[in-house]
Amino acid sequence: MPAKTEKQLTRKKNPKFSSMALISSLPQFPDTRISLRLFHNVSNASEIRSKVAQLPYAIIDARSICSLEQVYSAIYRALVESKYGKLKTKSLHSECLYSLSATSNIGEAYKNFGIKDDSQMLLVIQIVDKDQQDLQLQGDEVPLNDENLSQNCDMTFIRKIYKLNEFHSTSTIEISRAVVNCIQLRGL
Amino acid sequence: MSEEIVSRVSNYLTPQVPFKAIAQGAEAVVFTTNVHPYLPAKDSNNKTYVIKYRPPKRYRHPSIDRSLTKHRTLSESRLLAKLFLIPGLKVPQLIACDAYNGYIWIEFLGEDLPNDAGFSNLKNFLWMFAPSDPYDPIVKETLIKVGEQIGLLHWNDYCHGDLTSSNIVLVREGPESWQPYLIDFGLGSTSNMVEDKGVDLYVLERAIVSTHSLFADTYKEWLMHGFCQVYKNNGAEGEKKLKEVLNRFQEVRMRGRKRSMIG
Repeated sequence: MPAKTEKQLTRKKNPKFSSMALISSLPQFPDTRISLRLFHNVSNASEIRSKVAQLPYAIIDARSICSLEQVYSAIYRALVESKYGKLKTKSLHSECLYSLSATSNIGEAYKNFGIKDDSQMLLVIQIVDKDQQDLQLQGDEVPLNDENLSQNCDMTFIRKIYKLNEFHSTSTIEISRAVVNCIQLRGL
Repeated sequence: MSEEIVSRVSNYLTPQVPFKAIAQGAEAVVFTTNVHPYLPAKDSNNKTYVIKYRPPKRYRHPSIDRSLTKHRTLSESRLLAKLFLIPGLKVPQLIACDAYNGYIWIEFLGEDLPNDAGFSNLKNFLWMFAPSDPYDPIVKETLIKVGEQIGLLHWNDYCHGDLTSSNIVLVREGPESWQPYLIDFGLGSTSNMVEDKGVDLYVLERAIVSTHSLFADTYKEWLMHGFCQVYKNNGAEGEKKLKEVLNRFQEVRMRGRKRSMIG
């Protein structure tokens, strides 16, 4: 199919539309574009961490993410809170990070989900309607999907931060569902 | 249902989320939709989702109304989240909760029964078997499972509050096998009081007796078999607690649901 090849080519030329990114919008927020990208083997995490406050992204350590459901659930919550004036942090991006957390402590949310100096896998969330600033991230972009997330996440850590140590199931789907419950109900 | 509620909901959900009203209670309206609030469409495979909305009541002071709506929406969601963690207990999955506006998104369970027998809740299921074989082995197996679900709920010190045969939904697991799920925890609570558990059992008994009176004795026996089994699996402590619950159940049956006769 020639049409497809052409599309792929233009995508390659334009780094802003990498084919591995997941770009979507949520049904209740059609005007908000959400772009999600996953990077492995990131080598300059500490450099990015030092200027993370200026970057228009939510940068998340992918070790604490086990499914797309988990990420989208937090983004949904952040968008709802923003629409009804309930934001607890300064921006929508930081609210995404905060929404992922199971506790109402913003500092702890950053510690658990934010980029760390030794982070090698990063999930980059961008919620925009305007053009973006380039992300100077050294690493390999990989397709963002449930397999890539669940195979590389740190289940022990996830169980710890969401207080699911007692949870009987070992299936990622079930754990992800329990995590979604925590995200939706945090601090209310 | 009032135009006002529909327009409020469609305003909140935006035109991207089509919805259909399926039930209305005193406190909430229940809608279905086939749009997932946040998962991309390809992952959700045309599934159905339930939206439970508690509209504001105009006879209440706005600030009291807001806090009541938030409180009730949250307590139902919290209960669903806690029950989800109990091994063996089957409840619908919570998808999203917007307590400020009174919306809960839940997974839709059940299906339409064959031969126009209606939606697959326990009531319609029992009615479907009544003309042919009310004591079919599938009925027995299903009712025992229902009993087990209630037993698990009570053993873990939770109460449903409105346990009727339409609040028990059957999900098909095979051609001849159904798994009961408890739904609608709007009146649910955590409670270690035998009274609440006795009342739960009494309410269900009344529901069964009044809709399937001819077969109610056998149905009750199967339900209680499943219920007791859960307690008996927990050794001496289980036996002791089971005795307390059953004694109280007897007591409630003699006097009715309301102990205090106030309200």
